[in-house]
Amino acid sequence: MHNIMPVIYGLNSLEKSMVSIIPEAVIILFAFIVLFLTFFEKIAKGKNSYYLSLIGIAFSILYVVMLSGRNLTGFYGSVVFNGYDVFLFIAILLSGFLTVLVSKDYIENFDVPYPEYYSIILFGISAMMFLVSSNNLIMVFISLEFMSICAYILTGYIRGNTRSTEAALKYLILGTFASAFLIFGSVFIYAAVGHLNLNSIHSYLESISYVKHGSAPVISGMGEYLSIGLLLFTVGLAFKMSLFPFHAWTPDAYDGAPTPITSFMATGIKVAAFAIFLRIYILIYNFNVINFNDILWVLAVLSMTFGNIAAILSSNIKRLLAYSSIAQAGYILVGIIGGGFYGYSGTLFYLFAYIFMTAGAFAVVIIFENSDIISLDIKKYSGVGYKYPFISAAMAFFMLSLAGIPVTGGFMGKFYVFSAAVKSGYYWLVFIALLNSAFAAYYYIKIIVKMYMPDKEDSSVSYIAPEGKDFGIVNGNISEGIMLAVIICLFFTLIMGVYPQLFINFANYSAASLCKI
Amino acid sequence: MNNYLIVAGIIFCIGALGVLMRKNLIIVFMSLELMFNAANLGFVAVSNRLNLISGDVFVIFVMVVAAAEAAVALGIIVAFYREKGTVDMDKANELKN
Repeated sequence: MHNIMPVIYGLNSLEKSMVSIIPEAVIILFAFIVLFLTFFEKIAKGKNSYYLSLIGIAFSILYVVMLSGRNLTGFYGSVVFNGYDVFLFIAILLSGFLTVLVSKDYIENFDVPYPEYYSIILFGISAMMFLVSSNNLIMVFISLEFMSICAYILTGYIRGNTRSTEAALKYLILGTFASAFLIFGSVFIYAAVGHLNLNSIHSYLESISYVKHGSAPVISGMGEYLSIGLLLFTVGLAFKMSLFPFHAWTPDAYDGAPTPITSFMATGIKVAAFAIFLRIYILIYNFNVINFNDILWVLAVLSMTFGNIAAILSSNIKRLLAYSSIAQAGYILVGIIGGGFYGYSGTLFYLFAYIFMTAGAFAVVIIFENSDIISLDIKKYSGVGYKYPFISAAMAFFMLSLAGIPVTGGFMGKFYVFSAAVKSGYYWLVFIALLNSAFAAYYYIKIIVKMYMPDKEDSSVSYIAPEGKDFGIVNGNISEGIMLAVIICLFFTLIMGVYPQLFINFANYSAASLCKI
Repeated sequence: MNNYLIVAGIIFCIGALGVLMRKNLIIVFMSLELMFNAANLGFVAVSNRLNLISGDVFVIFVMVVAAAEAAVALGIIVAFYREKGTVDMDKANELKN
């Protein structure tokens, strides 16, 4: 057998290619296994799909760790695997793990099939991983669409719920609209350089431009094409990152989707979109007739300001977190604009911290939805701090982290990102960002105040935690899985705030392999 | 190549306007497909001019993805129709601040 294999042309390179996508392949394999559970009605009704998905994600993390340190390229340069991917794969897989953990309690409230739900989540995770590791415009488009289609299905998963369907519809139309911009942008990039592989585009642009980072047009006639292409491309990706002028779907989709999926969209999808944006930004955006940093500057400022103002005005916790995620996208963009090695590693660190604080906040929202509070209205949270002490303390901690108060991961993330921008001389941008974070603290702290200082006339509030229950869990409908998710998020948010060295080293390693290309 | 790209740009703009202005979900979806196909036209033109094959490959992938997208989109539109009895986009107004 071994004698024959090298003889067949290309098989050797195919084997090498397969190695570079092992983590994704594991996830896809488990997605299919979970999907096949639907054929066996008895097994499908149980918790098997839930446990199998968790095992699949754990296996994939294991393979990522085993492959770390290698530089792999596969499928004629369409897929790469290096330190950058290791960091983001782990971030995405953890966000998927948290999504699966928080899903079980929520999805069992509805009469929908479980195995398909978990299997689509797994497919979505694999699509995000492909998106992060893609190095070709075709690959970027396909994995972005794959990811989005999974997200559309999951958003509308609760059949018969008008809010869920409406959210899926709005997300679908605007998401496809964005994808159309993305491919139309690719047309112009292709017309300008004649390559689809990102590394080839980079080396081609480097070979013909004599002023790097400058404003010299690349070639006469073609420089404009490149600019138009990159503008359209940026619009397409900005939709996925939910930056300000392209944010319209965010609050509606986040509000109507099942809450675990909201958490998935806010963490996984956003991180994957930022990851691919960062890779393309480093490889292509520097060679241009327009200075793209100015455009991104405006986008960042608008996103932060709009997100925070809209969040203050909203009374629904899911909408509030949606607007807050728009504002957070603005802060993350500050790191990319700041640029340089420290800017990129700060951005990655912030993305990692952002996953845990957001996923944690949504996990708490799910627990409250499943308990006797039910409502998503912030007013209904009054006094829960005494009823569910542990959960509320966790929520308070996540809110402080999102607001960027010291000793939390969110603070360290903001610190790294803003200091990188200051180093590059973007004083006004950092000034506006700091002003915004101070402003944003108002609505994050408003939730904490609501939880611990109920209105005087609200007589239903009891100040004593119900006895005999651990961690203040009252309702029997809350499982260990969701508590585990909250504890994981708390752990990471705290560790990233207290001992960031560990994670910033990891982010530095990742950014180093990104900048090396 | 320039002329083809201009035509593609015009088709793309027609599609974008259709998405933004029409209320019927089926027509909106048709406009989205129009935008995808405008990009396909551009790719074929560029690929032919530069004498490369990669643009044609991209077109095949775009068509496959558009087909997958259509399946999901029509499913969601049907689900919407079952709930509301209409495919008018203005009836999608339950999610508000």
